[in-house]
Amino acid sequence: MGLLTNLRDSITRVTDRLFADDEPKRIGIYGPPNAGKTTLANRIARDWTGDAVGPESHIPHETRRARRKENVEIERNGKTVTIDIVDTPGVTTKVDYKEFLDHDMEKDDAVKRSREATEGVAEAMHWLREDVDGVIYVLDSTTDPFTQVNTMLIGIIESQDLPVLIFANKVDLDDADVKRIADAFPQHETVPLSALEGDNMDEVYEKIAEYFG
Amino acid sequence: MPHQCTNCGRTFADGSKEMLSGCPDCGGNKFQFDPTGEAETAPPETEDTATRSASTASPEGTSADDPGVTDDVAEPNTSPPTAPDTEDGAQASARSDVVSPDELAAAAESTEPAADRAEQGETAPSPADTDPSDTDASDSNLDALRQKLNDQFESIRIVSPGQYELNLMELYDREEYIISLREDGRYVIEMPEGWDDR
Ligand SMILES: Nc1nc2c(ncn2[C@@H]2O[C@H](COP(=O)(O)OP(=O)(O)OP(=O)(O)O)[C@@H](O)[C@H]2O)c(=O)[nH]1
Ligand SMILES: [Mg+2]
Repeated sequence: MGLLTNLRDSITRVTDRLFADDEPKRIGIYGPPNAGKTTLANRIARDWTGDAVGPESHIPHETRRARRKENVEIERNGKTVTIDIVDTPGVTTKVDYKEFLDHDMEKDDAVKRSREATEGVAEAMHWLREDVDGVIYVLDSTTDPFTQVNTMLIGIIESQDLPVLIFANKVDLDDADVKRIADAFPQHETVPLSALEGDNMDEVYEKIAEYFG
Repeated sequence: MPHQCTNCGRTFADGSKEMLSGCPDCGGNKFQFDPTGEAETAPPETEDTATRSASTASPEGTSADDPGVTDDVAEPNTSPPTAPDTEDGAQASARSDVVSPDELAAAAESTEPAADRAEQGETAPSPADTDPSDTDASDSNLDALRQKLNDQFESIRIVSPGQYELNLMELYDREEYIISLREDGRYVIEMPEGWDDR
């Protein structure tokens, strides 16, 4: 299995690209669990549409299915860009229900969450392959960016030639280290922000318009 | 023939190219993977061994036209009541955006073969699925199935229930989209057609 589908997929992709010029670009919000992807997606959606995208939580793997918000019109410098945003499940190489037991969860619920989280990662990876035109990669600035997951995902995004912005989130926290993130991915632009507090959202929207408009 | 069309029940050899352009019989594009290779169109009641009943086809958690995404606004974190808290009930409630609790309840009582339910767009366990581990015999079947899944499907390794290791590169490289992962070694996949109409 594979060759045929690959061929067909790439044909679909090409035609998609040819005819979809006026369609809003679909921007995937990717990153490890708990980085603040949903918080960011909600802020963007609330700022420009008034709606939210999905529940946020301090417990990892809160988002276990991709969620899409379509036709988000962002105005920058008198110009309007329209994008679809896709909030994706946090990507990881290991899911263990025991991690959730620390959050006061019953074992059954933890096992279930862990299975759904695993399916969520599979879904997120699939979207990356087929269905996004650009990526916002969200990282928690208080954590070490040099992880296998980050390296692998950024590598995949680069191999797809997708436009990507790195968002160094949670800069409101004392131990945030934006430079560490910028140094980890010097080939890409890093934008500091606090999705929770709404810090630096002007630059966020400016960059979104510039990269994905 | 480890894959079976969830719509009409037609089975396909592993890696069959026919599947790639949708089921030649009914045009369906959802296929269930059956690691035992025993997927049959025969209804479950003709099956008598533990292995067979553990491998009975049963699609779940998928809607016909939108494989992946919940549109637009967040709904509140719903968890509809599902009577017995089986693996399947739990799985299905996680899919509450595509399956209503009523449909689940109805389907859980149904003894129809899976293919029929799929046709109605309903997704739920058949009775034979609900507890594959109630005997020692099926416990070892479960282990064997898990092993088969791991061999066949190295993109996700089931370490133990609730513990998974993921090979991101493999997941990314797979052309089929994995919809549903289950302890008993089955999953439901969707072929590329379904993506187009999103
Ligand atoms: N201090 C601070 N906390 C934040 C910020 N953004 C998000 N958080 C918190 O981080 C936690 C995780 O946020 P989510 O938005 O759910 O994270 P996520 O990346 O969607 O996580 P998954 O869905 O599990 O992959 C929540 O408790 C948020 O309130 C931020 O800018 N500053
Ligand atoms: Mg989230």
